[in-house]
Amino acid sequence: MLDVPHRPTESDHEPDHSSAPIAPSIMNGSVNSWVPHDIVMKDTWFPLAHGFAVGKKPVRRAIYSHPYYLWRENGVAVASEFHPNERRTGEKSPYTNAAGHYPVMERYGYVWGWFGRPEAADPAHLPSLPFLPPNGNLPKYLLGTVRFDCSAPLSLENLIDLTHADFLHANVVGDEKSESEDVEVFTTSETITMVRTCKGKSVAPVMKFFSGIKTPVQDIRQVIHIYLRSHCAIAYGRFEPGDDVPLFHPCVPETRDRTRLDYTMNTSNAGFMFRHIMPRASYVVSRQDSSMTSPQSPRYMREEKRRDLHSPFDSAGQKYRSLMLDLAKRQAVGDFDYRDNVSDDCSDLIGLRKELFRY
Amino acid sequence: MDSNQKTAWWAIARSEEVGGKKPINADIGDQPIVLWRDNEGIVRALEDRCPHRRAPLSLGCVRDNGWIQCGYHGWIYEGETGRLKEIPNMKDKQKFPPLYRAIRFGVHESGGFVYVNLDAEAAPPAPSTNTTYALSGTVAVALSHQDWLDALFDDPNLVLAIRGIGFTPYLMTELHEEQGRLVMERSCQWRLLHWPAPFSPEFPVTMLTATDPITGHTDVTLRDADFNELLRVALAPVPAARGVTQIRWRAEIGENRPGWMAKLLGMKDSFAVRPSVDGAALRVLKPSASRHGEELRANMLNKDAVAAA
Ligand code: FES
Ligand SMILES: [Fe+2]
Repeated sequence: MLDVPHRPTESDHEPDHSSAPIAPSIMNGSVNSWVPHDIVMKDTWFPLAHGFAVGKKPVRRAIYSHPYYLWRENGVAVASEFHPNERRTGEKSPYTNAAGHYPVMERYGYVWGWFGRPEAADPAHLPSLPFLPPNGNLPKYLLGTVRFDCSAPLSLENLIDLTHADFLHANVVGDEKSESEDVEVFTTSETITMVRTCKGKSVAPVMKFFSGIKTPVQDIRQVIHIYLRSHCAIAYGRFEPGDDVPLFHPCVPETRDRTRLDYTMNTSNAGFMFRHIMPRASYVVSRQDSSMTSPQSPRYMREEKRRDLHSPFDSAGQKYRSLMLDLAKRQAVGDFDYRDNVSDDCSDLIGLRKELFRY
Repeated sequence: MDSNQKTAWWAIARSEEVGGKKPINADIGDQPIVLWRDNEGIVRALEDRCPHRRAPLSLGCVRDNGWIQCGYHGWIYEGETGRLKEIPNMKDKQKFPPLYRAIRFGVHESGGFVYVNLDAEAAPPAPSTNTTYALSGTVAVALSHQDWLDALFDDPNLVLAIRGIGFTPYLMTELHEEQGRLVMERSCQWRLLHWPAPFSPEFPVTMLTATDPITGHTDVTLRDADFNELLRVALAPVPAARGVTQIRWRAEIGENRPGWMAKLLGMKDSFAVRPSVDGAALRVLKPSASRHGEELRANMLNKDAVAAA
C-alpha cells in the first residue's frame, strides 16, 4: 500500500540548504519571542488536496509559495512544479526531479506532496491517521476546505490551546464550567499530543441541538495530536454521553502568512443530524478562530523585544513552540533526520475507540 | 511623527464613541489603542495588543466592574494601570508580577473629545474652554496628516463642505501666529449667482481658523460681514495607521443668521469633512498659506525648545 509512484531514485541536483541565510529569529528564537513566520519545514509530506479534487485537469496548490500542480495520469496522481501548458522561463527548483515532479503519494483520501529533498521522500514519514480509511472514499459531506489568514503555526497554536474555546467558541462548544479538568502533554521530536479530560462539563450547544443530549453535563476527553513538520493535526473528541468526533485538521502553509485546511471530520458513526451538521461547524468555528489569528499573524512576522506572557494553561502551546523551534534549528544547520517515527499507528496514543473505526 | 507629536494629546475619539460595553479601537500613527469607559465613566486607554498572545484587546469586552477582558483567552486587565487582574479558571494564585500588564496611555476628556497621550505620565492639557458642540462626526481620509492640513490651508474646498459656501482663494489675514496658534481668515462666497471671486469687490462671509502647530487641532469660525457667527467647528485631525488621517469634528450652528442662505445652514448635514480628496485637483493645488505654515511652525516649535532649555 505504501508506495510512492513518483519517487525519484536520486535527485538530479543537490539542494544547497546550508548556504541559505538562517533567520536570526530561528537561531536565537526563544519560546516567548518566537517568529513563526520564519519557520519553513522541509522533508515532509503535506496533504495538498482531497483525492476527489484531483482529476485530469491540473489544479493548483502551493507549499511556502512553491507551485504544486496536481493531476492524474491513468488515475495516478502527479505533482508537478510546472503547469503542462506553462512556457518555462526559469530554472526548476531543487525540490523536484528532472521532469519537474515532486514525490507524491495518495492516502487517507488525500494527495500528499513531499516538500524537501526529493531523495529523502519516504512513505515512512507519512502521518498516521487511524480514523480515516487508507483508501479514502468517505462521503463528501465529511470533507471541506477552510482558510486561515495567518501563518500555519499560529493556527496550530490556536488548535492546541483549548482555553480559548470557552471564549471564542462558547456558542458551539459550551462555556468554561466543568467540575474537574486535567491536561496532559506528551511529546516526541516530531509530535506533540495533548489530552484534556473534563468531568461534568456543560453540554456543547451543537450536541444539545443535533444529537439530542438531554443531560445538563457530559464528560469529555479531547485529544490534539500534531505532526510538527507536516503541520497536520488530529483533533479527537469523545463525549459521554454523546459522540466520537475525530477531525483531521491539516494546516498547510501555502505561504508563510496564509493557511489552507482541507479537513475530514469522520462523524460517520454518529446519528444522522449530527453526522451531517457537525462537519459544517468548521465554517463557523474557523471564522471565530480567524478573528483572532488573523490580527495576530502580522504581529508575529518580525522579531519583537517584548516577550509574550503565559500562564500554566499554556503549557501545551509553550511546548509546541519550543519543539517547532528545535526542529527549525536542526533544519537550519542541515539536519533533516527523523528521530522519531510518525507513521506508526497512533490509535492508542490518541485513545481511539477502534471498534468504531475499522479499516 | 516628529518628537513633539509623539508626546502630544490627540483627540482619537468623540466622547459618544466610547462606551462601557464594547471597547473600541483607534490609533495614533502605528500605535493601536483600545478605549473604553470603566464603571465610573472614566475613559481608559491601553495598547490594543494583549501581552499574552498579541490579540487586539478591542475584540474583547468590558466587565461589569469596568475592567477589560481579552476575547481570545479571557485575560482581564484593569484600565488605570494596565495590570493583569484575572486569568479565567485559575482558581489559586491570582496575584501576578508587575510585568503582567498591558501598556497604558494618558487619557483626558473635554469638549466632547477623548484625548490620548502616548506618554502615560504627561501632564494633562491646559483646560480648554471648549463647550461641547452637539453635531459631530468621524471621517478617515487617505492622506497624510500634514498633507491634509496643507490642503485645508491652501484650499478648504478640497477637504470641507459647508452648505452654500464657496471658499475663495483670497485671504483677509494671511497665516500668522497668535497665542501659540496658526491663525488665518479666508473670504467666502455664497454659492449663488455672483461675480466670480477675482472680480468681486466684497465678500459676504469669512472663515477664521486657528490651528495648533503640533496636532493640527483647528477651531473654525464662519461669520458674516456683521460679525454674526454662523458656524463654529472643532476639527481634530489625527495621524492614523498607513498614512491615513482620521478627522473627528464637532460643530454648532450660530443662533443669529440673517439672510436666507445663512438660514439654510440650520438644515441637517450642513457641515461635512470630505471622506476623500480629489487627487487631480490636489496635485496641481498651488502652495500658498501652507508655505507660511511650514516656516511659522518651525519657528514656533524652535522658540518653545529654546524657552524650555
Ligand atoms: S491573547 Fe489575550 S488572553 Fe490570550
Ligand atoms: Fe479554535
